[in-house]
Amino acid sequence: MHSFATIIGLAQKSLRNRASTALLTILSIAISLALLVGVERIRSEARGSFANTISGTDLIVGARGGDINLLLYSVFRIGNATNNVSWESYQDIASQNAVEWSIPISLGDSHRGFRVMGTNTDYFRYYSFGNKRKLEFAQGRPFAEVFDTVLGADVAAELGYALGDSIVIAHGAGSTSFLNHDDKPFTVTGILKKTGTPVDRTVHVSLEGIEAIHIDWQSGARVPGQSTSAERALQMDLQPAAITAFLLGLKSRIATFSLLREINEYPQEPLLAIIPGVTLQQLWELLGVVEIALLVVSICVVIAGLIGMLTSILTSLNERRREMAILRAVGARPWHLLLLLISESTLLAALGALLGMAVVVGATALSANMLEQRFGIFVAVRWPNAFEWLIAGIVVLAAAVVSLWPAWRAYRNALADGLTIRT
Amino acid sequence: MSDAALKSASERAAAVVQIRNLVYAWPNQDPVIVIPELNLARGEKVFLAGPSGSGKSTLLGLVGGVLMASAGEIIINEQPLGEMSAAARDRYRSDHVGFVFQLFNLLPYLSVIENVTLTCRFSTRRAERALQQSNSIEQEAERLLHHLGITAELMRRRVTELSIGQQQRVAAARALIGAPELLIADEPTSALDHDLRKRFIDLLLSECEAANSAVLFVSHDVSLGPLFDRQIALAEINEAAASLEPNYA
Repeated sequence: MHSFATIIGLAQKSLRNRASTALLTILSIAISLALLVGVERIRSEARGSFANTISGTDLIVGARGGDINLLLYSVFRIGNATNNVSWESYQDIASQNAVEWSIPISLGDSHRGFRVMGTNTDYFRYYSFGNKRKLEFAQGRPFAEVFDTVLGADVAAELGYALGDSIVIAHGAGSTSFLNHDDKPFTVTGILKKTGTPVDRTVHVSLEGIEAIHIDWQSGARVPGQSTSAERALQMDLQPAAITAFLLGLKSRIATFSLLREINEYPQEPLLAIIPGVTLQQLWELLGVVEIALLVVSICVVIAGLIGMLTSILTSLNERRREMAILRAVGARPWHLLLLLISESTLLAALGALLGMAVVVGATALSANMLEQRFGIFVAVRWPNAFEWLIAGIVVLAAAVVSLWPAWRAYRNALADGLTIRT
Repeated sequence: MSDAALKSASERAAAVVQIRNLVYAWPNQDPVIVIPELNLARGEKVFLAGPSGSGKSTLLGLVGGVLMASAGEIIINEQPLGEMSAAARDRYRSDHVGFVFQLFNLLPYLSVIENVTLTCRFSTRRAERALQQSNSIEQEAERLLHHLGITAELMRRRVTELSIGQQQRVAAARALIGAPELLIADEPTSALDHDLRKRFIDLLLSECEAANSAVLFVSHDVSLGPLFDRQIALAEINEAAASLEPNYA
């Protein structure tokens, strides 16, 4: 019968009549759902992008320190190394029989907030990410000269650089630095394609370039009165004495563990080797607690949102007994009143869910850049996926189920009150 | 057969409401209603004087089909309520009975017209009967409202912006739309000024006359009694009234 439609229509009008409380309820559901979906989104995206950052590398070697720290600074460009690896040790290990390729990494400088990484051209040949994808050039070619540089896709896009542009590297990793290597500018010779990894936010130069700009520097400061021109620097021996870390690809994976042990017990220098996959796993276990805590907190917030809705419905119930009696008098059946209250809360939750999804999309659009810059998490700006809609659906369903309580009370009241209007 | 007996028999045949040996008691309590007999003829306008404690609300709940008699029977339009299911009683109520309460008869979130036509949304019969009078249910609502002195300007207002007297007239229009056989008015004038009371009752009764609806008008204000066809004191016909607590509502 059309009484069903009548009840839904009444629910709409009744909500519009209580617009301010209805809006607050919608808002609280929207915010709680946005938090839940947002946390879930960051969680899954972070896991995806972390796992995709590096592949094909069998060992990462750095100065002795924490496993996770080494992974963070060498791959994610987060944090700093506490010590360096000597060039001799690097050469010694890289020339071992089991090693197929090696990539040296030298960190410590920056360009307008983007980390500068010194390496060699093997980086462009061997480094891979995601499903064994190699780095590709959008424009240009690898660096060939000492003062050539290759930019990650985001660096070029955000700073508006093109091939042939000249850039100055700053000393230290901060986004603003008063110590610039402005006497030795670099020329952009290549721009990489977007990878969705920290590579996009990296300025790549040769190890010799890193060495050249530090000729007149000692202990992180310029030596007063000493100035070596770029031309003269090119004449000098630019072999570095030390690097920050290096990546190793082995001929056979079977050799991984024996080489790992060998490096960790390296007699000449305290070194640390890690297997990227294993350390990524450790990192996740570490973050897993935070992850679960965040999820639990956001579920609690959703529950609080639903309790808030329940409270507002329950408190309105007494003043609405009159309304129920009127509806009964004009022929509404008790289950009509049940339906009225359930459809009101379902409507509130559905509107809240839609608003919450809009908040999630809006918030990711606004914060994607910040998450990428500050935490290296690449959160794609996209419409909610099936799983996120499922979460929203569950919240709406939960609202309907929760409202059974006040609805049942209204039903019982209606039976007890009959047509008597109790005020 | 005496004249009086004949009259009584013909009244019964045309009766809208017939009450026989009605007893009602709340669970585990003494009866609050014991009424051996009460009849309302078709179109008859009855004033039921009921002070607090006479079992007035309970009686209206019973006639409205919301409460079930403990014993005896209530027959509306030759249909015994006791034999109906709860669903059938709800349908009967929306099809055959209109209610006007003491106060706050209207849903604040509906317009004046929507409040009046609400009845027709729950009762197909009332909707059909409204359409016999006018081209649309809304037009019939406007016609009734107009007769009850609600101007087109008032019809466009929010119901909460109407005076109590205006609200009661809108409630009367809702009770009367689709010409129900019975209109139950429970103290509908107690919130009105004395002058307004008489005017409201005159309007109500003339519309009931037009719809041929019987009226059961309940009030403690006996001065209104002479406006009706018949006056009954509930305390006199309800044999349980004497034993009730004085403050029982």
